[in-house]
Amino acid sequence: MNDAPLTGIRVADLSRVFAMPYAGAYLADMGAEVIKIDTHHSQFVDTTRTLNGPYPDNEPGDLFWERGGTFQTLNRGKRSLTLDLRAPEALGVLKDLLRVSDIFLENFTPRVLARFGLDYASVKQVRPDLIMVSNTGYGHNGPYSNFGAMATALEPTHGTGAFTGYLEPDARDPNVHGSLVPGTVPNKIANSYTDFLASWSAQLAILACLLYRARTGRGAWIDLAMYQVGASFMGEGLLDYAFNGRRTRRIGNRHESFSPHGCYPCRGDDEWVVLAVRNDSEWQAFCQALERPELARDPRFADPVTRHQNQDALDEMIRTWTSDLDQYQVMEELQSRGIPSGPVLNARGLLADPHLRARGLFESVEHSPETKLGRQEYLSRGWNLSDSDVHIRGEAPRLGEANDYVLGDVLGLNPAEIEDLRTKGVIGERLLGGGTPSTVPLARQEELGWIVRQEPDYQRD
Amino acid sequence: MTPAILEGVRVVEVGSQVSAPFCARLLADYGADVIKVEPPGEGDEARRQGPFVGDDPHPDKSIPFLYLNTNKRGITLDLSVATGQSILGRLLEGADVLVENLPPAQSQALAQPLGMTSGSQRDIRGNIRTGLIVTSITPFGQSGPYRDLAATDIVTCAMSGLMYHSGDSDREPLRNALSQSLYVAGINAAVATLVALFQRLTTGKGQHVDVSVMECMATHLVQAVPYYNYMGAIKGRRSVRGSGIEELMPARDGYVVPSVQGSQPWSVFADLIGEEGLQDPRFASGAGRIEHGEELKALLEKGLAKWDRKPLFQASGERRLVFGMAQDAGDLVDCPHLAAREFFVNVDHPVAGSGKYPGPGPNLSGYDFQISRPAPLLGQHNSEIFCGELGYSSLDLVQLRAGGII
Repeated sequence: MNDAPLTGIRVADLSRVFAMPYAGAYLADMGAEVIKIDTHHSQFVDTTRTLNGPYPDNEPGDLFWERGGTFQTLNRGKRSLTLDLRAPEALGVLKDLLRVSDIFLENFTPRVLARFGLDYASVKQVRPDLIMVSNTGYGHNGPYSNFGAMATALEPTHGTGAFTGYLEPDARDPNVHGSLVPGTVPNKIANSYTDFLASWSAQLAILACLLYRARTGRGAWIDLAMYQVGASFMGEGLLDYAFNGRRTRRIGNRHESFSPHGCYPCRGDDEWVVLAVRNDSEWQAFCQALERPELARDPRFADPVTRHQNQDALDEMIRTWTSDLDQYQVMEELQSRGIPSGPVLNARGLLADPHLRARGLFESVEHSPETKLGRQEYLSRGWNLSDSDVHIRGEAPRLGEANDYVLGDVLGLNPAEIEDLRTKGVIGERLLGGGTPSTVPLARQEELGWIVRQEPDYQRD
Repeated sequence: MTPAILEGVRVVEVGSQVSAPFCARLLADYGADVIKVEPPGEGDEARRQGPFVGDDPHPDKSIPFLYLNTNKRGITLDLSVATGQSILGRLLEGADVLVENLPPAQSQALAQPLGMTSGSQRDIRGNIRTGLIVTSITPFGQSGPYRDLAATDIVTCAMSGLMYHSGDSDREPLRNALSQSLYVAGINAAVATLVALFQRLTTGKGQHVDVSVMECMATHLVQAVPYYNYMGAIKGRRSVRGSGIEELMPARDGYVVPSVQGSQPWSVFADLIGEEGLQDPRFASGAGRIEHGEELKALLEKGLAKWDRKPLFQASGERRLVFGMAQDAGDLVDCPHLAAREFFVNVDHPVAGSGKYPGPGPNLSGYDFQISRPAPLLGQHNSEIFCGELGYSSLDLVQLRAGGII
């Protein structure tokens, strides 16, 4: 049996929402003891416990704060300690916990962090070799440092919109200043993209600092500005401006040098396939796949330059071909000839995909009976280690389930002291205040365009 | 002088294009000693990919290559012949990590250097003797039915599920620009490599890190997957029918993202935009904004047309609203905030000239980020490494060069 890589590492996870909680979840997968610093006061609770859902069959239920699918994904395998940080005792407990922790994750704005006295200079006094991650929108210095942020608004701010957008027929000049030329509209990448860039960047910095600490005995403060991290993923585009003055490059699904290259409709509703033809020999094979051998001799498509010039005509022919086929059929036709192609998968497609099944991307979790979540599957990681035990350790923690463990076993409080904190409302195991979240019926969500459709027979065995 | 975070870690990169080079660059940025191995003659395929400095398609002027290969030393080695493979084996004897992104079918090139008798990359279990960690990054990973399929960034974006959710609901899915799936895989590979290095501190053993580009990107879908598993609901692309809140909306000189996230009441938002109709109490609640979305969008457009992006962004931040704005590369390179964070670093390259390079993701206390080397010229460090570190003589080098090995 292999060991978990982070056995014996303790993480105090005060972070909220998506980016850092997800980093904490990965640390738990790696075997760290991750203690989520929760609260049972609804106005301060992690909003993924109350606002994000989704709930089984769209029913929040009595214990709704334990039942959100996104919350479960982002917090699997952690423990939960509730602390009302307004109480002075709570800050004392938190500092005691930091004293016996290796890693501290938080995402307050600098202003709030200082108010709690949890800035790095202060916590370093408590635990000199602590590795602390401060995740903020804009970082702890610079003119924007006190601005709040959410990934969905941050994403275009760090430049994705300069490089993501449909290609409009009247906007072919890649050198135009991209902001408000008619027809050139920046677009976004789905699902609060920046949160994930921040999560990966934090994980990398944490692991690097763990190795550094093992070698030198020193801790570190990781000042992670999501804006800056996002910009670091736009590197090629930023360097193009630095050297060539090009501000933007929105070419839809086309490619600078490959053609054809794009996304085409398939048989069915909202079904799509992508493909990329990289060179002349793939073009020849492509014409065979289309059963249009005459195209291989057509001078309009004879070389990469002419194909690039005549992409509108190419796209039209390809659309005609793909529209009658299933997305996997197109993939097979092209892949059998060595041409890159694949379906645009949605969540249902991912869950059913035979490759991902074979690879074990989804890991199964048996939930505690109180949650009535049963057994569910969650996204794991995009990588596998041959000789380490890395896996989802269990469900996201029920609110305050580790109060006695952390306060008693880890911090050495006696039962009377713990009960005193409970009586004072510093800790608690049921969410106080705030009503059951209202959910929008799925039929209405479909009308609003929040979901594409609902499949009543979705539950497989 | 603080020691580099990953001082003493030696990485050999057999990488092309984006994923493995980005992984190795990230490790180099933290101070690892990275040696990049390129095929003689042509080098990394990224050298032939644009855009180029001055739009001159010179192999040392590819912008992706220049960006992805800073802080590395570069050598050439023909891994398709036994001599090249055995030299790689010698290089790996002193290495902690091998990062590669060869197609699985070409992995026999690594069999001999890794001390394996058969060529199946699936069987790589690191080199236990030296504790080597082998990190392999491919579109679909080292197992499963798609293992050997062909892919470029648009294919892995599509198959990851992210692309389905990108773009507008009434149009085709939209690719995530700048090879994002390959960057995301590169950083995930760097994370997993360091996990293996950390575990080696206790076990002394190396291992194989198997990274799938498609799966790295798929792990972003923390909402769409439970939407289906919990409710059978398929989340799609952004609806074009909404109120405009949290979406890209036109202002006078570009696009902004008006946001009601955060704890401020609606009146703060309405005051900021300054369009009187927005004060209507029907818009004060989330439900009301959904119900009266189209009306709200029209009022927003009217109000935003009086604002430029940056003053609005500044004013929203000061009011503790969390607006965004669409910035292009010029806005970012000239951004005063990123300058204050010392994000950009001037790098001088002997062929490409000097430029302002994007720097680190997070800033680390007490540790100054540096780009101490520009991307290497093809084979730039051949004699430094072959003669200086592996013990070849300069005459050996002449022979290897004549044989086309380097």
